[in-house]
Amino acid sequence: MHGWCGKILRVDLSRGRITREPLDPQVARSYIGGRGLGIYYLRREVDPAGDAFGPQNKIIMATGPLTGTAAPTGARYVVTTKSPLTGAITCSNSGGNFPAELKKSGHDAVIIEGGSARPVYLWIDGDHAELRPADHLWGRTTHQTDDALRSETHEKAKTAVIGPAGENRVLFAAIMNDRDRAAGRAGVGAVMGAKNLKAVVVRGQREVALADPAAFKAVNTKYREAFKAKTQDAPPALRTHGTAITVVGTQSHGVFPTRNFQQGTFEGWESIYGETLTQKYLVRPKPCFSCPIACGRVTRIPDGPYQGEGEGPEYETVYALGSDCGVDDLAALTKANYECNELGLDTISMGAAIACAMELYEKGFLKESDTGMPLRWGDGDALVRLTRMTARREGFGGLLAEGSLRLATRCGHPELAMVAKGLDFAGYDPRGEQGMGLAYATSPIGGSHMRGDPAYFELLGVPVPADPHTWEDKPPLVAKWQDLFCVIDAAGLCVFFSVRYLVEQDLMVKPVGITELLNAATGAGYSPEEVEKTGERIFNAERLYLQAAGFTRGDDSLPPRITREPMPVGPARGMVCKLEEMLGPYYALRGWTPEGRPSEAKLRQLGLL
Amino acid sequence: MKVSVHAFANLRDYAPAGGGKFELALADGATVADLLTALRIPAAVEAVMLVNGRRADTATRLSSDDEVTLFPPMEGG
Repeated sequence: MHGWCGKILRVDLSRGRITREPLDPQVARSYIGGRGLGIYYLRREVDPAGDAFGPQNKIIMATGPLTGTAAPTGARYVVTTKSPLTGAITCSNSGGNFPAELKKSGHDAVIIEGGSARPVYLWIDGDHAELRPADHLWGRTTHQTDDALRSETHEKAKTAVIGPAGENRVLFAAIMNDRDRAAGRAGVGAVMGAKNLKAVVVRGQREVALADPAAFKAVNTKYREAFKAKTQDAPPALRTHGTAITVVGTQSHGVFPTRNFQQGTFEGWESIYGETLTQKYLVRPKPCFSCPIACGRVTRIPDGPYQGEGEGPEYETVYALGSDCGVDDLAALTKANYECNELGLDTISMGAAIACAMELYEKGFLKESDTGMPLRWGDGDALVRLTRMTARREGFGGLLAEGSLRLATRCGHPELAMVAKGLDFAGYDPRGEQGMGLAYATSPIGGSHMRGDPAYFELLGVPVPADPHTWEDKPPLVAKWQDLFCVIDAAGLCVFFSVRYLVEQDLMVKPVGITELLNAATGAGYSPEEVEKTGERIFNAERLYLQAAGFTRGDDSLPPRITREPMPVGPARGMVCKLEEMLGPYYALRGWTPEGRPSEAKLRQLGLL
Repeated sequence: MKVSVHAFANLRDYAPAGGGKFELALADGATVADLLTALRIPAAVEAVMLVNGRRADTATRLSSDDEVTLFPPMEGG
């Protein structure tokens, strides 16, 4: 095979057995890779009703055909498993260098099953793979683990590891690769911890075989030149200021979540946004493998109580640990970000849980006797302390480790958890961004922006702007973008480059450039329409898994704050999210029943019956 | 009339004296296009334009004390 390696590595932790099996070419064509392979194997092999922490759950780490190639942003992999936080599927995505290295080891995916009695790590050195004891690494931070593993395997090996948070089964623990990149969402790291798997370490030196190297080079050059032409006068804002520049887009539209989504404008935004980060703490931008944008941030806080060095913060972290907690101290939230990276925590759900706790405390539903400390809005020091306590489940951290919804429910106020399907929202208030509300509610993993991100057209002008306040036009756009993101996540690409260069630049985003790259790499001869249909197949397959796990139309919901409490201030003042009005048309155009179930005709059309 | 302008990232380069936040005097009845011309922002430079937090385009007519926000299209957050 070309583009694909044609090989899956299967690791049975219970028996300590490692086997290889071929990737079925027809499955590869129908699901592309990455997120597509993830749902394909999850549906076949993991009982949707089973315990996420039980040995029957599996972790599927899958690359795409473009991962590890010279394609712009061909850096991504997807971790798919049943989430302990939500009980739904999660398919968390990350870049860096580990995914390309995994691909170059000659494997499209690693399927991890069972559970080990003792801590172990998986060492993949090209064709050789073995499980090694990891007792000596248990309890160590992600950075310490990365250092130790590279010293005992190969200095150029790449790692994906869990920190203390994953070991302690914090329900939103992340898998950190290349030290500071995160497959962060919905507890993939906790599942790894439950399996006693500390790390996957990989060394791969095999170039990805391409079906038509000359055509691939030509297509690659065409899109890289398009990027150069567009950015020749001014570098992309994401390179200059990182994703935290996105605060400008959300604050100016009045959708920058503030104090647990009580309002959409934050008075302290200028202290924590991208340009301030650049001025105060940026050391250098850092690209993932094969990326021309370089949005990653290497930062340093030179002095003061939060002195430190690391990567971040990204936009989502600035929202979750910043405005959502009322914190305008960039050093404090950056330090809390460093802690999350080293302890292996999702910064979004960590910040959202603290924000929820702060609202519960301010309203008297949590007492200082519960929390062990005052939890006032804006307390940057509390962020850092609570992050450490959560990873180790110390004191009140044990409650935070269960996530915002369980915390709020325990306090008798589940409505104060800003979640969909139990997963905390990203940094966009859907009251002033209607499409985002529909995207959160229908995302297969819950409240994520990365399963079809309407912020591009509603806020950021990409590829062309659409009005964030209208809801009537959003169902077809959200469906189209959800399917597109399935394709991007399956191909092994990053959304950031793809939405501006590899799709037609209108709201229907036909994946023309992605198709050209896929064809040159794999020789599959896809049409853009077949690629779009593949995206739709992946999205519907994920929906079927949710359905089998017991999720219904009632779970396509948002908290009452979003659908019933009008935004109090700012450009979106007076608005609520018209979710119910959007859901009916959305189900209809997806070919789903009014209960939100894919119809038999739709499943037949997609080859899912 | 006077409007207040907040320009970000590369669009900050077109602000008078280099500060991103400033006031600008324009003729009554001016549009966003007139504002872009006054700031000498070339047509080839892409900008997302908001007036008082609502999406605008070059034809949007401005009123006294309007708040105009300008930032480049962004690839994501």
